[in-house]
Amino acid sequence: MIEVSDLEVRYGTHVAASVPALTVRPGECVAIVGESGSGKSSTLMALLGLAEASGNVTICGVDVLRAGPRELRRLRGSKAALVMQSPQAALPPTTRLGAFMRRALKLHGVRASMEEAMRAVLLDPALLRRYPHEISGGQAQRFAIALAIALGAEVILADEPTSALDVTVQAEVIAVLQRLRAERDLAVLMVSHDLALVSTIADRIVVMKDGQVVGTLTHPYTRQELEAVFGAQG
Amino acid sequence: MLKAENVTLAYGRTPVVHDVTLEITPGGVGLIGESGSGKTTLARAFLGLLKPVKGVILYGGRPLTDLRAFRREVQPVFQAESLDPRMRVGRSIAEARPAMPVASLMEAVGLDPALAGRRPHELSGGQRQRVVIARALAVEPRLLILDEPTSALDVTVQARILELLAGLETERLLITHNLAVVSRLCRTSHVLFAGRVVESGPTAELLARPMHPYTRALREAVPELGGSPPAATGAEPVTAATGCAYRLRCPLAVPACEERPEPVAIGDRRVACHRATEL
Ligand SMILES: Nc1ncnc2c1ncn2[C@@H]1O[C@H](COP(=O)(O)OP(=O)(O)OP(=O)(O)O)[C@@H](O)[C@H]1O
Ligand code: SF4
Ligand SMILES: [Mg+2]
Repeated sequence: MIEVSDLEVRYGTHVAASVPALTVRPGECVAIVGESGSGKSSTLMALLGLAEASGNVTICGVDVLRAGPRELRRLRGSKAALVMQSPQAALPPTTRLGAFMRRALKLHGVRASMEEAMRAVLLDPALLRRYPHEISGGQAQRFAIALAIALGAEVILADEPTSALDVTVQAEVIAVLQRLRAERDLAVLMVSHDLALVSTIADRIVVMKDGQVVGTLTHPYTRQELEAVFGAQG
Repeated sequence: MLKAENVTLAYGRTPVVHDVTLEITPGGVGLIGESGSGKTTLARAFLGLLKPVKGVILYGGRPLTDLRAFRREVQPVFQAESLDPRMRVGRSIAEARPAMPVASLMEAVGLDPALAGRRPHELSGGQRQRVVIARALAVEPRLLILDEPTSALDVTVQARILELLAGLETERLLITHNLAVVSRLCRTSHVLFAGRVVESGPTAELLARPMHPYTRALREAVPELGGSPPAATGAEPVTAATGCAYRLRCPLAVPACEERPEPVAIGDRRVACHRATEL
């Protein structure tokens, strides 16, 4: 569960994003859309305590903006997972995927089946023996999600999780996320510039412009209000 | 003007692009294909950065030798182009010796010239990408090789950049996952799968009536505004090492597909699929 109120993200004196209220309940998917520089990614970073911010952010019961570094690291490592545009870059190049996952599980004192987590995202467990450069972008994306599940994540924050993938692989990654929402009540907050994509999966769409929330749409969307989002961005 | 003839490309001893013949013809050429299919590798060969282990790259009919003129005439706009992190972006653009003022170049790609004093990390990903495009355009190249130039940008900025690219005289090879982008900017397109061109032809026709099952899957997976989630197969995106590389995912695969299909001409299309004529 993610609850945000009166959030302001700052770089020095410059307010990069301001979000009055935002909630993502278990099993929900909420998308933030907006043009580049509109404050989407800054908001996501602030939610995990990775950017200077004021206001209130609660994720899985943790008061993010007032938590200590240890508590934050625990939150980020297990309950809340960040899935980036190119997760391959974040994996240590000389460590096999299996060793990496085993180490993460041990670090957080979690006992979970790595094979099961891999299968949950439709990955062959044999890939655990590979190095990061030996898997494709789509596989790396799903591995990041598998890792999150193995660690028992309740919340996934994703920054353009499929924009580096071709549409056929994107469809597979989205299907995995949809299934996890239904089966494990996973909450997903996704930043994307692909309005068409998020309009097919999100319960709500938050539209940002120049650091401000300029509108929130609720499913089911009408064609008219979706098309108006392009206008709001232009 | 630039042509790959029976080109095979490898990293170390592992070939990743096999026997590709592809010419950059006027009107824009699109290169579509899944992640890891070899698009960037092919682009690097076209830029003279990677030598074919088989076949040749021809520039104006001759093998690439004098790289000096070539370097100016053929400009890359890459996915992860790294700008010098310490240099203000206005200077980065000025360093390319633009024929027009830096401010006009910035405006041309939809950047506020007031941002010229910022360093790359002070810009959003989309703004950085626009700086990279401005810098490539600065030398007025004859050919742009663009690798996912707009994938990090939101739709409106994307539209403005596409508008800009469409209005240029410059020839282009455009690598993208985005079918809407190729249909807008490329008269001809090639679909790459597992390092081989599986379908080529006029973009409009190729997208309206795909003949290769992979092209068809690509088109069907494009999400529609307000539609249902794109259909997934639930299958591992694996490629077969022998025969048709797509056969482990192909809904039309038959035993004959264990034999590699050669590309054949069907009208103004070239398709490498045993069942192309049935579709
Ligand atoms: N420097 C390298 N060393 C070894 N293998 C590499 C290297 N760069 C790429 N590869 C491999 O070559 C194949 C083709 O990669 P390439 O980057 O050309 O794909 P792409 O089509 O551009 O993919 P994407 O859409 O993800 O950018 C992949 O299997 C990749 O893992
Ligand atoms: S050759 Fe066979 S497996 Fe390959 S795309 Fe055609 S029908 Fe499918
Ligand atoms: Mg690439």
